[in-house]
Amino acid sequence: MSAPASPMTWRQLLSSQWLLLLAIGLWCWAVWASPERAFEALGVSLRTFASVLPLVVAVMGLVGLIQALIKPERISRLLGREAGWRALFLGALCGMVLIGPAYLIFPLLMTLHRQGARWAVVATILASYAVKIQMIPLEVGFLGWRFSLARTLLTLAFAVPFGLAVEWLVEGRNSHRRGLCSKE
Amino acid sequence: MLTVGLTYLVLILLAYLLTHWRAPGKARQGLQVARFSLLRVLPLLVAVFLLIGLFEVFLPAQLIERWLGASSGLTALLFSGLAGAIAIGPPLAAFPLAGSLLQAGASPPAVATFIVSWISVGIVTIPFEASVFGTRFALVRNSLAFATALLIGFLVGNLL
Repeated sequence: MSAPASPMTWRQLLSSQWLLLLAIGLWCWAVWASPERAFEALGVSLRTFASVLPLVVAVMGLVGLIQALIKPERISRLLGREAGWRALFLGALCGMVLIGPAYLIFPLLMTLHRQGARWAVVATILASYAVKIQMIPLEVGFLGWRFSLARTLLTLAFAVPFGLAVEWLVEGRNSHRRGLCSKE
Repeated sequence: MLTVGLTYLVLILLAYLLTHWRAPGKARQGLQVARFSLLRVLPLLVAVFLLIGLFEVFLPAQLIERWLGASSGLTALLFSGLAGAIAIGPPLAAFPLAGSLLQAGASPPAVATFIVSWISVGIVTIPFEASVFGTRFALVRNSLAFATALLIGFLVGNLL
């Protein structure tokens, strides 16, 4: 990376990559505070990154496929406002079976939103994502089935109201645009 | 996670091959979008993973456990929600940790709040979420998810 030439590019770098800069800053502190533990942390970072990388690439591949193959009208018919409650329940169901850390599916969900899925569906998917169906055996093992059942059912029950609330708050200020979007 | 990731990668590759066979142009277009998206999120992901390593080593689970064990009632609920929001790592790690919290004497509501907050609120990933969805969505979603985690924790505690 070459040094930015003007103050403007510095500002651009700061606004677009401030998280990376923050991470580097914290790392400098960590190395200064305790080199051994910083080294250990680097191991954790690399291991996590390596284990998640194939999934990252796969998710991006899926983003590309969806954009190239599925027409926006189909997505908005399935997951948009005109789909009504069905879209929300479908979202809750999808969220339950998705795997991996949530931040991996952010770009995927944004693609769906751009193609016509409503915000409530995006937020509902992220909420029912916490069910973690593939982890339930593990949860039952550590916390008991009563705990697991109660948590799972409550998470599911709140997913759709949560999605609607997020959408209402996100769109609240520019709700006039809502009508335009759904008619297109 | 690696096996699952590789399985998905193979499936996606097959889907691309199939697409290429049926409509070559579409496959190329998809690949371009995929490459562009990947390159755009890569610096952010590198930052997130750098932070994950730091948090796991410098803010170890035992420390969080000690904070939670020492509080009770509403404070415990708030504390466990916050701890879950800051904690980063696979949910795979959340359950064993929650189990040991429960055995150490933490209340079931606090433990439930901790798990839900761990999985659905991510303070470290908020900047990434904001860059993808917009700041407003990221802030609204995480605040509401935090409130929901407290509510679910409270209800689980009273149902059991």
